[in-house]
Amino acid sequence: MTPSQRPNPSLVLIVEDDPILMMNLVGYVEEAGCEAVEATSVSEAICILEERTDIRTVFTDLDMRGSTAGMKFALAIRDRWPPIELLMISSQPWDKAQIPARGIMLGKPFDRRMIIAAIQTLAA
Amino acid sequence: MLTTWRGLEYVPQAHTGKTMPSTPIPSAVTDKARLKALANYGILDTPAEPGFDGIVQLACQLCDVPVALVSLVAEDRQWFKARIGFPPCETNLNSSVCAHALAQPDELLVIPDLTTDPRTAQNPLVTGEPHIRFYAGAPLRTPSGMVLGTLCVIDKVSRPAGLTETQHQCLKLLAEQVLNQLELRRAVRARDVLRETEAQAFRAREALRDMQAVVATAESDLETILHAVVAGAMQAVPSAEGGAIELLDGKELEYRVVQGTLGEHKGLRLPLDGSAAGYCATSRRSYLMLDATSDPYVQRGLIGTIQLGSAVFAPILRGETVLGVLKLQSVKPFCFDERDLDQIVLFAGAATAGITEAAARSEARAKDVYWRRLFDRLNEGFIVGEVVRNADGRITDWRNIEVNPACGELLGIDPTTAIGRTIREVLPGIEDAWVNEFADVVETGQPKTFTREVATVSRWYEGHAFKLEGDRFGVIFLEVTSRVAAENRRTGMLAIGDKLSNLTTIPEMTAAVAEVVGLTLGTSRAGFGRIEGEVEFVNIEADWAAPGQSSVAGRHRYDDFGNLRAPLRRGEPLVVNDVARDARTRKNASTWQGFGINSFLHMPVRERGRTVAVFIVHDVKPRVWTPEELGFLRSVADRLEAGVARVRSEELQTILNAELAHRLKNTLAIVQSIATQTLRGVTERDLVQVFDQRVLALSRAHDVLLQKSWSAAQMRAVMESVLAVQADLDRFALDGPDMNISPQAALSLTMLLHELATNALKYGALSTRAGKVEISWRTVETGAPAFVLGWAEHGGPSVTEPNGRGGFGSRLIRMGLLGTRNAILRYDPKGLLAEFRAPLSDILVQSH
Repeated sequence: MTPSQRPNPSLVLIVEDDPILMMNLVGYVEEAGCEAVEATSVSEAICILEERTDIRTVFTDLDMRGSTAGMKFALAIRDRWPPIELLMISSQPWDKAQIPARGIMLGKPFDRRMIIAAIQTLAA
Repeated sequence: MLTTWRGLEYVPQAHTGKTMPSTPIPSAVTDKARLKALANYGILDTPAEPGFDGIVQLACQLCDVPVALVSLVAEDRQWFKARIGFPPCETNLNSSVCAHALAQPDELLVIPDLTTDPRTAQNPLVTGEPHIRFYAGAPLRTPSGMVLGTLCVIDKVSRPAGLTETQHQCLKLLAEQVLNQLELRRAVRARDVLRETEAQAFRAREALRDMQAVVATAESDLETILHAVVAGAMQAVPSAEGGAIELLDGKELEYRVVQGTLGEHKGLRLPLDGSAAGYCATSRRSYLMLDATSDPYVQRGLIGTIQLGSAVFAPILRGETVLGVLKLQSVKPFCFDERDLDQIVLFAGAATAGITEAAARSEARAKDVYWRRLFDRLNEGFIVGEVVRNADGRITDWRNIEVNPACGELLGIDPTTAIGRTIREVLPGIEDAWVNEFADVVETGQPKTFTREVATVSRWYEGHAFKLEGDRFGVIFLEVTSRVAAENRRTGMLAIGDKLSNLTTIPEMTAAVAEVVGLTLGTSRAGFGRIEGEVEFVNIEADWAAPGQSSVAGRHRYDDFGNLRAPLRRGEPLVVNDVARDARTRKNASTWQGFGINSFLHMPVRERGRTVAVFIVHDVKPRVWTPEELGFLRSVADRLEAGVARVRSEELQTILNAELAHRLKNTLAIVQSIATQTLRGVTERDLVQVFDQRVLALSRAHDVLLQKSWSAAQMRAVMESVLAVQADLDRFALDGPDMNISPQAALSLTMLLHELATNALKYGALSTRAGKVEISWRTVETGAPAFVLGWAEHGGPSVTEPNGRGGFGSRLIRMGLLGTRNAILRYDPKGLLAEFRAPLSDILVQSH
């Protein structure tokens, strides 16, 4: 636990099917002073979101098995849980129009500073 | 009274053997003037006439004598115009008593007894039979005083008392009556001769005029003209029974034209030497042959052959050149005189004119024929036109004056009926330009060359128009429809090439090509369709249609339109010139016509032995698709297919590139994660982050390269994307020409700038709020072309050269662009100044 961690850290649901990347994403979330909740698939993430109401931010990789699954999931969140903030990372370029409202899209490989800044902004 | 005595018994013994003593004859007898005057009356040897007979009868009764005579005294005889009681019609002068009357023109000669008068005592008629004794003669005296002879009375008994006074006076009066008779007779004869001469002259004139009319008639050829000359000459010289024109041919004369008794001798040839005509020709003089039998020039053998009695000849001359001879002849000798010679010369002259005229005419006709034949045989159309003006004098049309046969084929008209009609009548709906341009030619006199279509017949013509006299002009032209069509196809093919290389999507390409094809071939619709299955369906994409025609885009089943699939399945074009007649479409003609189609063409596009698409053209009219048009469409279809294949492969490449980029970035992210997790225990977190940043910079270069499929990158984009990772772009001032750089240069530049920016952020201009970096680049063309990149920091803290060897970043900077090691670094207190050089050829994209 780093000294910057706040007493009641906000929860960030990380959706990532690659375990190595997951480790890194968890690191970024924690560096940003938040607590990570891990989901290794879209369906698991949806189960978590259906069960828990304390998650305010979803941090998802769009490049998951089934090429469009990530983006579909992001859009579903915006549809079903409008208050939840969305941070997305992808190796593919996306049109602005495709990105869900209020969502932040970042590329790969990771720009650590920007990711941490984005998590802090969304989770604040 | 001897009233019963009626005359003297004449026994012609006066002229027998006996020599008579000569009695001197009065000199007046042989007076030339008197003889001439006598001849002038033309009375000698003419038949008896009642007028004179009456007078002598009266004289007999008056003087109561048996013999009375009208005796005319000629040079060597006396001749009786009228006589009673004296049988001979003439006597010699020895027997003449009258001759003595000539010596006393004013008085009667009365000899009461001839036996006693010394002048007559020895007269044979006194001394012998009929023993005349008394003579009284009244002179026949002309108004000019010439005595022609006497009116005399004779008796066989002497009359000593002579005549009574009354008899004397009356005999004198009767003599005057004789002279009156002579005068009257002469006047009548003179009148008759005059009339005959006039009539003859008239005939000659008529003949000449008729002949000249023939000569002047344009249709007359040489033969006709020469016939007219001979006929005219024969008419002018009535005594001619045969006539001929003999034309000179080398050393011979040939009977070219013959008439009358010479009619069967056409073609007869005579030598110049040894013929009368030859003499005429060589002497160039007219010649009168009075009697053939004694003629010095005639060819003896010919006389019988051509029944030659007499003839006249006249040379036919042109200047000094002899062309031939005009000849008139008669079977009888002495039929012609000098007057006839004059006539024939006149006609020979006319023959010259005729021959000259005929020659000129024949030459002109030959020329006419030559030009006309040329005009008729010309492959080019040739029109002589005359402009038609309206009431204001403005030219609104033109009329065909001459149209050669070639025009018929070229314009699709009947050239004979086109003459006299205007072009707007002959070709209704013809473009105004066909009138206006020729109007200009007529108005300005400037010739013009044109290439233009007559749209109503869909044919192109190229030609030349030029002004003729007045409102006329000439046009010579050729049809160039196929050439223009070929040019259009070439132009169309070029346009298609351009469209295919410039357009990037298949629908755009097929639509653009369809439009070019439709316009090029002048069809009503063109399009591209994809084939489904074994040519069962066709999906026609957005097609091109002429104004007024609708699109047929969409899916169609071939079998709904006829029996059409076989050629397309074999890869052959489906060609239908007329849907109503073609066996494959006849039953479905109304379906086709419902789409406004009467002829069409489907050109297959093949892929791996299968027909995968068709290029389609439609026409509202039945139309014969030419092999050239088929070839054109074949090329178009091939090109379109090639273009489509290119676009498809590019699209595929783009997808592959995106996928590759996606995987690369993902892999880099994994590398970052592994490194981060691996270096978890490392306490210098900065180093881990620097690594992270370097991976990021590398990935940014790939992002830029991806936009051009890793074949090139834009200089400025490369710089901006890498610098943006480090700081706001407004901290940098970029100055240099944008250019396409190679992938290697892009990666090298990215890493170099990343390290420079990292350093600037840590120690240099970017470490303070106010500091800035100026990045400039240029190309240097002197010597080996080079690329020069400058990095200038200012506004930051004062810098000093770092110690030691430095880390990865410093080494990378010193290696410069593309590892050339051509790097100059100056640690100016105001800020770092760096310059890097690399061969321009390594920086730029190699165009290939």
